[in-house]
Amino acid sequence: MNGEDPQERPDFIRAIISGLERYNPEAAGTLEAYLTQQCEEKFCDCNANRALLKLYQLNPDRIKDEVITNILVKAMTQFPSPQFDLSLHLLSPSQSNPGPNSSSELTEAVSKLRALNAQLEGAEYARFWATLDSDDLYADLTTDIAGFEDMIRVRIAQLVGQSYREIQFAVLESWLGLNNAEATTQFITETCGWKVEGDLVQIPKNAENEARKAEIREDVNVDMFARVIKRSWEESA
Amino acid sequence: MSAFQQAQAPARAIDPDSDVEEEALVNDYKEQVQYEEDDAESTQLSLAAQTDDIQSRLAAAAQPLDYSAGLEVKFSSYDSYCSLFHFILNSEGPVDLEPPSYYWAWDVIDEFIYQFNSFSSYRARIARQGNNEEEITMLRENPNTWGCYSVLNVLYSLIQKSQITEQLAAMKRNEDPAAVAGEYGSKNLYKMLGYFSIIGLLRVHTLLGDFSLALKTLDDIELNKKAMFARVMAAHFTTYYYVGFSYMMMRRYADAIRMFSHILVYVSRTKNFQKNAQYDSITKKNDQMYALIAICVAFQPTRLDDTIHTALREKYGDQLLKLQRGGPEALPIYEELFRTACPKFISPVPPNFDEPEANIDPIEHHLSVFMDEVKTNMFNPTIKSYLRLYTTMDLKKLAGFLEVKPEELRGWLMVNKQRTKQLRWTDGGLLEGELVNVSDLDYALQGDLIHISEAKVGRKLVDWYLRNLSRTYA
Repeated sequence: MNGEDPQERPDFIRAIISGLERYNPEAAGTLEAYLTQQCEEKFCDCNANRALLKLYQLNPDRIKDEVITNILVKAMTQFPSPQFDLSLHLLSPSQSNPGPNSSSELTEAVSKLRALNAQLEGAEYARFWATLDSDDLYADLTTDIAGFEDMIRVRIAQLVGQSYREIQFAVLESWLGLNNAEATTQFITETCGWKVEGDLVQIPKNAENEARKAEIREDVNVDMFARVIKRSWEESA
Repeated sequence: MSAFQQAQAPARAIDPDSDVEEEALVNDYKEQVQYEEDDAESTQLSLAAQTDDIQSRLAAAAQPLDYSAGLEVKFSSYDSYCSLFHFILNSEGPVDLEPPSYYWAWDVIDEFIYQFNSFSSYRARIARQGNNEEEITMLRENPNTWGCYSVLNVLYSLIQKSQITEQLAAMKRNEDPAAVAGEYGSKNLYKMLGYFSIIGLLRVHTLLGDFSLALKTLDDIELNKKAMFARVMAAHFTTYYYVGFSYMMMRRYADAIRMFSHILVYVSRTKNFQKNAQYDSITKKNDQMYALIAICVAFQPTRLDDTIHTALREKYGDQLLKLQRGGPEALPIYEELFRTACPKFISPVPPNFDEPEANIDPIEHHLSVFMDEVKTNMFNPTIKSYLRLYTTMDLKKLAGFLEVKPEELRGWLMVNKQRTKQLRWTDGGLLEGELVNVSDLDYALQGDLIHISEAKVGRKLVDWYLRNLSRTYA
């Protein structure tokens, strides 16, 4: 799973999340600092972040709203993956479902992020960029995460590369959310290494975008018949 | 039983008419019905008075609580578990006791968690209803009774004391577990309690919505027929239910189906030997697992074992059909099946008694997160059913058939393509897995032209052959 156990994870974090220390409320501080490091250094350790959410789940008095939203935004950058949902499951029901009279700032932020994540998971990339621009709250929510937009963009490009051999420039431009042809061309040629030909973008062949024919055959080996053979041996003996 | 008799005998010899026996009975009775804020000291006292009949307390700990038991009984049941586990864990050196039966340890842990689960649900319900002042006051004053930290503490302590993780690791390496078992772990009582506490943790983590941690706790247990839990049917069954459910929540549908299929086939094969109360309790979970299999198969079409396929069609035929058709009409079916088949999720902290409406049932929370994923995928069946018919297809033309905008269809195609890759377990811990292509349908786009290829599945004959062969023998 993307962003589950990154190489960057230091030993002292590993010690916390794999032992009983993960239940110690005092560990929250360390995990929070680690989250800040992830946000600044552009890597993602959802496993450790879930340990932090778990501490919040057990000790609601320790909750820091901006930590929760940062964890969610980090998890979102791993799309498509269950990471965002796995984090949501650890929030308290009242934090993630706006009730009739419980519209705290956190609830509102969480439901905004959920909508945003649903667009990424649903591959509605053009709509994602439009939503992101539609409200200043999104800028606030993603401000701590260095390179948020770039990470999303690179991820979208990867996914396009897995499905397309050739894509209309206009479509890709709207999906990358750069809002200008020049920047889009630059991103496509320099970051992705693809070729722009007229109004089409050529994507080199890879294992995913070929759609090769395959035949699934059954592997048969002697072990599968072991019981039958044994039985026939015993009965004839 | 012998320990019980030995302890009784000298008491009688000293003074047959003493009040000791009656006193013990009274104490016992007190503990069952009386609610008192036991501090550690009084627990110790009542414990001392009862060491002679520890065997009957061991047996009592495995007994289910009466369904209609009131709040006081629930409180005192918690106290007796605390004092029992305190006795087992904190006596000087290991307690010298044999478990009453090979399934006793499972029953104790099972009942302990069941009571924790139902207490938490009950407390949340009282808070939501907000009209039973008496019970609200009582619950408010005792926030730590059946507290999540104490339950986790018991389970982790039993695991640590018994060195069960070390023992299981040794077994995996084909070494003698006794060499690493230590003073406590070499005793059957500790070993069994430790072992089933691991499965207990799997369950508690799932109930709290921590699905990956749930699977992580089983790292040391190998899921196969030789596993210790397989000897106790209920344990076997429960383990697969929770593992399968956690896999499903992690979007690992192939693995979830593998878990549910394994245990459902096993149950259907042993059905005839199990006509007792234990089997009745299994029937309900059995149906729940069929509901979950229906959900998983809808996410990821899979050829099921024949027995399971037939039973699934019998139990949830209509629902399965609607799930497999997809689209918005399938959403209420997903909700219905999820609700009937999910564990009774709980919140680890006391509810908000001051604002009854602020307490949302955790089931609703987990359901709504799950439904996000369902909604993302709801057009996959539609897409697949069309793509199967062609080898190349124009995107705009297909959008016309489906009556959607081309941009919308582009999204659906991307989603469906992305979901064909799934982590699937091959070896090692339950969380391990390889990213594999789980669909027989693959496609790639060249501009608006969709190139489609369908993997040909050769006939699978081994199963058929074996089944018929065994029939000729029978």
